[in-house]
Amino acid sequence: MTQAQMQLEAGSVAQLLTRAYEHAYEAGWTDGLPIIPATPDAVQQFIAASGCPADKLVGILPSRKGRATVEVIAVNAIMAGCRPEYMPVLIAAVEGLSDPTYPLELMQVTTNPMTPFLLVNGPVRNKLEINYGTGCLGPGWRANATIGRAIRLILINVGGALPGVYSKVAFGSPLRYSYICGENEEENPWTPFHVDRGFRREDSTVTVFKASNFCNISGGEGVGPDEILRQIATNMPPMYGGGDGALLLLGVNHAHSLYEAGLTKRDVQQRLWELARLPADHFAETFATTERAVGRGDAKTVWRAHSPDEIYVAVAGGPGPQNVYIGAGMPQTRVIRTV
Amino acid sequence: MIATDTFSHFARRMASTQGFPYVIIAETPNPIRQLEPEALRPRAEAMIGTVIDGLTLPPVEIKHRLKDVARQQIRPQGVVRSSVPV
Repeated sequence: MTQAQMQLEAGSVAQLLTRAYEHAYEAGWTDGLPIIPATPDAVQQFIAASGCPADKLVGILPSRKGRATVEVIAVNAIMAGCRPEYMPVLIAAVEGLSDPTYPLELMQVTTNPMTPFLLVNGPVRNKLEINYGTGCLGPGWRANATIGRAIRLILINVGGALPGVYSKVAFGSPLRYSYICGENEEENPWTPFHVDRGFRREDSTVTVFKASNFCNISGGEGVGPDEILRQIATNMPPMYGGGDGALLLLGVNHAHSLYEAGLTKRDVQQRLWELARLPADHFAETFATTERAVGRGDAKTVWRAHSPDEIYVAVAGGPGPQNVYIGAGMPQTRVIRTV
Repeated sequence: MIATDTFSHFARRMASTQGFPYVIIAETPNPIRQLEPEALRPRAEAMIGTVIDGLTLPPVEIKHRLKDVARQQIRPQGVVRSSVPV
């Protein structure tokens, strides 16, 4: 073990668990919720499940430049309530978060509540029971809840995103507890998201986005493709701090409707890019000017995205006239190497 | 250390986690992102005395000056649980 160990004594298991929680909370190791104590035996079990050596460095995380080794990831995974077999997902996600082009340092310290959003693709979804259907953004599924939570604990304990210390986030966000789902590839009439990014369908991957918000878009039932896309686009306004792109989690009903109307995924991206615009005089002049300067506007309108390429489309969730729009961009996709 | 006044208490908490709770912080009013160089220059000149203090004063003197300030900034009750108590 390279990490510091501590011992707690108590008269019962219940007392021990409570004391472990109180100790972790006081030390600033938690997100406020109870944790599972990371005992040496459990840490070894999680390391073994990763298939990697304990001291393998997965990434160095800002702003504290903490070393995210496999062992450190295991400790945080245990505290979050993960199962050992989730380790490869966490390792792949940390690899993505550590990419030099991913803006993690900004995300860790800014007053804006931006946070990673994780999209999981491939066979690992079913193997680990990562929800991609009804209720996929939670609550209720252990893999979704605890993998997302482990990422937050890693960002706090390794990266130093201590609320009120390194993290200056003004409000914070409930999305910072856990923000993850699988793609509903089984109901996706087009190619899965990871295949669009050059991976094989049989690959398991996790994509980390820089995400700023959550917006459920209701409506557009029993109407044609143009009405569906208009309903979605009008709920995707240009937004300060969201200029890196937009992720649309297209509901399965609308995905099938658009597909059956003959639209490709590229058609959907193109049409949303054209529709997600508002008159420039709708906005503060400074915002409109800034957006124009970076290519997201013209003399009359401000656009949600610089190009159709920055509108990312995946299919997720269960039946119903619902979609989810996330101000999200700068995706990093990594292969999940299961043991 | 240099910080805008809005964020100086964050700066001291960060410094405290690195073992420097009594670092001298030169402050300037927030915000500064919109300022042109000619507006920034007098801000910098106003802070230079504090910067020189931070570089030249003995640590004992700095700690004496900042002890109460640091305690209040680093761990105000009910707000911050993760920084190092002073």
